Amino acid sequence: MSPNSRLAQRSIHPVTSQGSETTDLALFVRTSSESLITWNRQRIVDALVKETYIDLETAQLISKQVEDQITASHIKTITAPLIRELVDAKLIEHGLEKVRRMHTRLGMPLYDVDQLILNPNRENANVPHGPEATNLTLAEGIKKEYALLNIFSQDVADAHMRGDIHLHDLGFCDRPYCSGQSLEYVKKFGLSLPNSASIAKPAKHPEVLLAHMVKFSATLQGHFAGAIGWDAVNLFFAPYLVGLSDREIKQLAQMMIFEYSQQAVARGGQAIFSDLNIYWEVPKHFENVPAIGPGGEFTGKNYSEYQEEAQKLAWALFEVYLEGDGCGRPFFFPKPLVHITEKFYKTPRHEEFLNFICQVAAEKGNTYFVFDRGDTAKISQCCRLSFKLDERDLLDARTPWKMRYCAMQNITVNLPRLGYLAQGDDAILFSKLSDHMELAALGHLEKRIFIEKLLALGNHGPLAFLTMKPDGESYLRLEKATFLIGMLGLNELVQIHCGEEMHHSPQALKFGLRIISHMKLIAEKLSARHHLRFILEQTPAESTAYRFAKLDLHYYSPKAATVIKGDIARGEVYYTNSTLMNVGAALNPIERVKMEGLFHPIIPAGSISHIWLGESQPSPESLANFVTKVFRHTLNDQIAFSPEFTTCNDCHKTSRGLSNSCSYCGSENVDGITRITGYFTKTSIWNKGKLGELRDRYRTKGFFPAVSETEESVKIA
Amino acid sequence: MKALKLFWREDCPRCPAAKQLGDNLKRDGIKVEDYDMDTVDGLAEGAFHSVMAVPTMLLVDAENDRELAEWRGNIPNVDEVRQCYQDIML
Ligand SMILES: [Zn+2]
Repeated sequence: MSPNSRLAQRSIHPVTSQGSETTDLALFVRTSSESLITWNRQRIVDALVKETYIDLETAQLISKQVEDQITASHIKTITAPLIRELVDAKLIEHGLEKVRRMHTRLGMPLYDVDQLILNPNRENANVPHGPEATNLTLAEGIKKEYALLNIFSQDVADAHMRGDIHLHDLGFCDRPYCSGQSLEYVKKFGLSLPNSASIAKPAKHPEVLLAHMVKFSATLQGHFAGAIGWDAVNLFFAPYLVGLSDREIKQLAQMMIFEYSQQAVARGGQAIFSDLNIYWEVPKHFENVPAIGPGGEFTGKNYSEYQEEAQKLAWALFEVYLEGDGCGRPFFFPKPLVHITEKFYKTPRHEEFLNFICQVAAEKGNTYFVFDRGDTAKISQCCRLSFKLDERDLLDARTPWKMRYCAMQNITVNLPRLGYLAQGDDAILFSKLSDHMELAALGHLEKRIFIEKLLALGNHGPLAFLTMKPDGESYLRLEKATFLIGMLGLNELVQIHCGEEMHHSPQALKFGLRIISHMKLIAEKLSARHHLRFILEQTPAESTAYRFAKLDLHYYSPKAATVIKGDIARGEVYYTNSTLMNVGAALNPIERVKMEGLFHPIIPAGSISHIWLGESQPSPESLANFVTKVFRHTLNDQIAFSPEFTTCNDCHKTSRGLSNSCSYCGSENVDGITRITGYFTKTSIWNKGKLGELRDRYRTKGFFPAVSETEESVKIA
Repeated sequence: MKALKLFWREDCPRCPAAKQLGDNLKRDGIKVEDYDMDTVDGLAEGAFHSVMAVPTMLLVDAENDRELAEWRGNIPNVDEVRQCYQDIML
């Protein structure tokens, strides 16, 4: 254990007794005047020598000076943290900055803790407010500080603090970012988790398999910062569904969605950020794969023989999505991602299924349409992140339990910042962009080293779960991990540099493409140099779009004020997410999806276009038409349609559109619901930046033919 | 004003033939722009025109980048391109 990490452990618990190491530092000084009697200067010396590289003589000198100061001040009560601060102040006086860094303590001011306990967390709208949530935020606060001091180098940490780049999920610095996996693993190996009181053998019944899947997801949530994606869920469930009635399958679908959406008990009340990948067809790469059934045994059939059961489950899941929760609201999680492929269009009843999932998209918005053109196969997780499977991965498909992929970390580059720095000069712009990407790469290397250190502790380490090897390989296959480099505010960078936004002219759009092309090529060069897979991703940027905008307003006004979106007077400022077009631009959906889609082929880790429906409710057929058009005539990776709702906290009814009062009972005790970035949530807990964006969003009015009046009234009744 | 855009990659075995074709057309006085898809400008231009395979040749209206004819992922016959170039009116 390095002196640094010891320092962190001890400083977190200066008073509580956690073994002898911490109690002897917990200076009884803290509680009463009597403890001054037991004041022992030597303790300062011991701590300095143990935690830092200081020499004994200087340590003694400093302890003496601090003692003099305390004695002179006639303080009656003193706490261990205060003594530490006094020592640190002395270290600064002596110019011992590095020693001070190592000796520093992490924690929060009383006022901040008070505010946290009383007010909700606005950084992640997926976290409700409550005691568990407060615990989460407090822990995150300390881990964030720890990461910036002890995982990342000063260059990287400073770049993050300045807002040149954003290191995502610093509060979850001791875990990888996100994970996509196969149900086959759980089917084959059952539920055998390190540190768990009991070991479950492979499930024999569908309900048990579901329970295993949900618990496994919860465990994964505890080991990853972000999304947990499951591949081809309906197909891999299928061998358990043979002989079940439609009613029983519907029951199972209901359990699956409710279990995931109500898993708000774990991790600060945060629901599991879960994604279900769904196929109407049996994907080509699983056709001839031997199926695993009850008891973890091979059934003797291939997956191509389970299309019927797989389709029944897919259909039943969307029936549940269409009904919504007990109040008719859309389910926030798990998110269904339907893969649209060439084979999809060759599979019987695909029109019927497409219309049905489009009905769900129109009424509730849940459906994500993931386009796998040609021979592409991918596992999607997160709002847009997907792993395109290469040839070696497709070999894995023969043994699908091995199919598990992780992204280690996500680091986003603040693109508009580069515009202010370059002042119109192309050469400066591109070279600064390379510099900031190199910083991102450095940050990735540092994170990887830290995670490797934790993994090296094996069975007894904090990431024991990720090192278990039932199939001979660690659960976390580090050599397959990707390191994501995201981008934010391309539209505003282009606006600063070219004087117009991307949707204004083909020249501006092309310039945007040049920026992302440059990023892609630099990412490839960095990958070759560092032997890591750096891959571009569209950052979801729920809070980063707000953070970068605020920082740039501070450092680069007045220029920043002319391009930053939102309402500066209200403080509701933001940059446009990733490579998206201005959310407020009056573009018809097909134009938007086409233009945004031009970027998707050069962003390998996945992209999405949003279509904000507002209160309009298009007919399923018109959306189905649109989806097919997007598949055939654009290169867009993924689309989702987002309706808006108002849900009443008094009469518990839900109506279409965002409104200040309930259209049923008139109550003003209502919440808005719509997609924030990658998932549905209540708008009342959005951060200011996203609220600004919500105001600006251009809703498609009249583009899609609406459901006819009569149909509409039938549905409401 | 019409122009031909030719997209290629260094490591593509079929691209040299496409480049040869481009050179022949240049000698006819046709405006041919070359794009190496492994450079920033080539990749960006390719993304703008949704080029997913090399070699690709596009005949465009140089004024507004509108695509008039396309040969994606294959090498056209030189006469076919010449014919297209002459026949299509702006
Ligand atoms: Zn009401």
